[in-house]
Amino acid sequence: MKWETVIGLELHVQLACESKIFSSSSTKYGMPQNTQASLVDLGYPGVLPVLNHQAVVMAIKFGLAVDAEIAEKSIFARKNYFYPDLPKGYQISQYELPIVFNGSIEIPIHNKSMKTIRITRAHLEEDAGKSIHDKFHNASAIDLNRAGTPLLEIVSEPDLSSSEEASSYMQKIHQLVRYLKISDGNMQEGSFRCDANISLRPLGSNDLGTRAEIKNINSFKFVEKAIEFEVERQKAILEEGESVIQETRLYDSEKNETRSMRSKEEANDYRYFPDPDLLPILVGKDLINGIKKELPELFDQKVHRYIKQYSIRKVDAIEIAKNVDIAEFFEALIHHFNENYQQAANWLLSELMGYLNKENISIKDLTITADASADLLQKIHENVVSASMAKIILKQLIETNDSVDEIIEAQGLKQISDSTQIESIIMEVLESFPDQRDQYLSGKEQVLGFLIGQVMKKSSGKANPKMVNEILLEKIEEYRRI
Amino acid sequence: MERFTLKKLIHMISQREISSAELVSMYFERIKKYDHFLNSFITLNQESAKEQSLIADKKIHAGNYDLLTGIPYASKDIFCTKGIKTTCASKMLENFIPPYDSTVINQIKNSGAILMGKTNMDEFAMGSSNETSYFGPVYNPWDLERSPGGSSGGSAAAVASGIIPIALGTDTGGSIRQPAAFTGITGLKPTYGRCSRYGMVAFASSLDQAGLLALTAEDIAIFLETMSGFDPLDSTSVEEAVPQYSDFVHNSIEGKIIGLPKEFFNNSLDSDSQRILNQGIEIYEKLGAKITEISLPNVGYSVPTYYVVASAECSSNLARYDGIRYGYRDDDTKDLDDLYRTNRQIGFGDEVKRRIMTGTYVLSAGYYDAYYLKAQKVRQLISNDFTEAFKEVDLIVGPTTQSPAFSIGEKIDDPVSMYMNDIYTISSNLAGLPALSHPVGFIDKLPIGMQLIAPHFQESQLLNFCHLFQQETDFHLQQPQPFLDD
Amino acid sequence: MTVKKSDINHICDLSKLRIDENEISIFTKQISDILNMINELEQADTNNIKPMAHPMNMSQRLRKDKAILNNDRDLFQENAIDSEDGFYKVPKVID
Repeated sequence: MKWETVIGLELHVQLACESKIFSSSSTKYGMPQNTQASLVDLGYPGVLPVLNHQAVVMAIKFGLAVDAEIAEKSIFARKNYFYPDLPKGYQISQYELPIVFNGSIEIPIHNKSMKTIRITRAHLEEDAGKSIHDKFHNASAIDLNRAGTPLLEIVSEPDLSSSEEASSYMQKIHQLVRYLKISDGNMQEGSFRCDANISLRPLGSNDLGTRAEIKNINSFKFVEKAIEFEVERQKAILEEGESVIQETRLYDSEKNETRSMRSKEEANDYRYFPDPDLLPILVGKDLINGIKKELPELFDQKVHRYIKQYSIRKVDAIEIAKNVDIAEFFEALIHHFNENYQQAANWLLSELMGYLNKENISIKDLTITADASADLLQKIHENVVSASMAKIILKQLIETNDSVDEIIEAQGLKQISDSTQIESIIMEVLESFPDQRDQYLSGKEQVLGFLIGQVMKKSSGKANPKMVNEILLEKIEEYRRI
Repeated sequence: MERFTLKKLIHMISQREISSAELVSMYFERIKKYDHFLNSFITLNQESAKEQSLIADKKIHAGNYDLLTGIPYASKDIFCTKGIKTTCASKMLENFIPPYDSTVINQIKNSGAILMGKTNMDEFAMGSSNETSYFGPVYNPWDLERSPGGSSGGSAAAVASGIIPIALGTDTGGSIRQPAAFTGITGLKPTYGRCSRYGMVAFASSLDQAGLLALTAEDIAIFLETMSGFDPLDSTSVEEAVPQYSDFVHNSIEGKIIGLPKEFFNNSLDSDSQRILNQGIEIYEKLGAKITEISLPNVGYSVPTYYVVASAECSSNLARYDGIRYGYRDDDTKDLDDLYRTNRQIGFGDEVKRRIMTGTYVLSAGYYDAYYLKAQKVRQLISNDFTEAFKEVDLIVGPTTQSPAFSIGEKIDDPVSMYMNDIYTISSNLAGLPALSHPVGFIDKLPIGMQLIAPHFQESQLLNFCHLFQQETDFHLQQPQPFLDD
Repeated sequence: MTVKKSDINHICDLSKLRIDENEISIFTKQISDILNMINELEQADTNNIKPMAHPMNMSQRLRKDKAILNNDRDLFQENAIDSEDGFYKVPKVID
């Protein structure tokens, strides 16, 4: 029996609002327990929710970016269940009338083609607090700082057919929310969480099999692994002739397995009904059009523009645009340095990103400005410094507060491009190494490398390598005639 | 013992006939002397009230004071009051001291009025007799074996007996108007959204409203201005300007049209009540109003509609009471489920449990459409009936209750019979309309009330009609016998 | 319409209530009576009627996204019977 995999993903994205969705508490991450939990967040008697404008705007931005419909009228509903990290005993979410629905997005899949994944809906809701089970010996600790943080829950249709597709979709949405600046997408901090609904069905069938929901997936790699494990698990069950139980399972990344959750989710009847403390959200055409106008350029448009406007190679354009922070840095860079865009791209990707990756720094934490980088690029372009000199300068730039000029001056890194100077160094070397010189002249061409090395050594690395090469070849020939 | 109206007290203060400190002292004396008969207070705010009265007197002496400076009032124990126990008459919040004031309390504080104490009520505002309170029932000053009505029974008994001049109440299905009728005083439920609900412990969010119980319409008009108004902390609060209600009470009602819903004057009302109400209606005619019959065809569905909506909302609103962040917490529970159930079993009384269970049921899988959704549609029907009626009439008049106050213990074991008490009052909560009850006569020496219902935000009309009625009659001036002699 | 004991038990599970054995019969009867009363709604003709969630025809007001930095944790935790080190405590939950 051949099986096909059917996957739908539910992504919970924390919106980058300053305050919570229904209260004015800060949403800052990592603060001491319960210091960001107000009366409203704590569900005190008599408190009431008031909706954050920015959360609505961000939801609409997302909807527009995935070509979805924006509901003219959407409703908040209460999802009722008991858990200590849910102070009111209900979560304010959206049920029958979500703010965004019927969207879609294209994702790249394995054979380099694109597949359209439908997005059923995206709705606003509040996040719950956190329970920590290993803090106290005989009790669980509850921290409600996170309770009330704005979430956008993005639900896909079960259009994903493999773990790779799921990962690709997750990455695409991740990139999108960061591009839109509606979320920082920080998975370590819980800003971007994934639940996967997985089921199998006989190949060719149109019915949906029983699905299991896997929670607690917080990386692209884990979503693939969790799905792979789950598919095998379900396959084994089905091939025994048994049925898959519809349940919620937790993914354990250490053991690489999913296991059943014995928890609040079981057999729960959430008794959704419209929240009477909140009124319908009415979104008019003016608001939508205003937001549409301010939508930033997205990934595909950017890649296209880089290729067309800057004549950068497609593979480089994709690499730069993949991360909105890198793209923004690049655009600032070429704003100041517009002599050679491909050169800028090359430098950014290999030199700058190379350095950052090695030191494990994110471009957001980069201490040098695009301005200073452009300065350096300009010097490279004009051959004032050699490529290896540039590496040294870059490191200095990042580690000190000095400007490019100051560094070059201080370290005497200026490249020697004066042919007379280079010539005299070359003559010295040719005189000092007659054996190698003669070896070259008798046909051993690889010795040239040694001689070039000596020239560079003598010039403390500053001689312009291209010129050294040219002039050395010229001068060594003069010895042949002798 | 003279029952002073708010208007009288304000006059006495301005004439320097009495100081705020003397007033506060006098009312605490009265409470001490009579409240053990009534059980209308849960908490008294003596020290703070006395301090505030001294500050008030300084302001009064300096000539730098407001209308309500130094005037005592009481609040139903459902309004959060910072630093003062707020129990909702429940064991669940027996020792709860809110770290904040509700908006209404804050507004009144700013006006200079002085909070004397928190009044007894049905637990979490669920009840029509003030018999479900964890702190014992309240007794009707007209007959101590009878209920003062509920859920604002404490506020009603305190005002009717004269131990407090005016009190805050809340009305979700009649909880201000019915006790006002049972105790012979005047009670107003404003338009939904007129007064902020922030800090007012929620029972049924789309029905609850803060309101007043006092001796006269004029008194209510004065105080209503202070507690009304838009609150950014309450999404259901309406941005509607607050009129100077006192300015409107003296207007003529000549030519105004009063509608009498035929569904209110049918067989459900006994003949004595019919007769007294008719006499009341004649007075309005004498004052210049025209009377016409109207129909509210769906109003008969009010009680079942209300009990679906209110139970559903309260079942969810009361889910936060788990003892974890505040409230009653048992110290001997073995796991999380046990914690929740034990705290809630011990913390809540029977009526609260019944309403939570009913609400949970009507929202549960398979029943939502038949009950909750259906009830919301019937609610629209009832509301439409009023909208249609108000195209023809300016005001709607009817009974407040089916009968005068019943005996304590008479209905407590029969929930449905108790619920039927609200038959005339519930529909205005469903439609969000402002409504008022004022005394209209007596049956066997027990007061009965007449109800006025106006279109949205026309509280001034209600107060206007009521004031003119109170100029023509003296029902509202009758005092309960046990408290007449000092 | 009769509600069964098992219904009552289920409702109690959903709403985290507990009714003692000796009270279950009474509650079952009372809830049945209430539901019987509620069932009268069936007779209302609600064809083409939209459900009314709010008495006022209003839409949700939006609040400006500005954080107010108040830390009243200690004040609030005075109300909590079991808290430690800034956390609220509950019996251990096993997921």
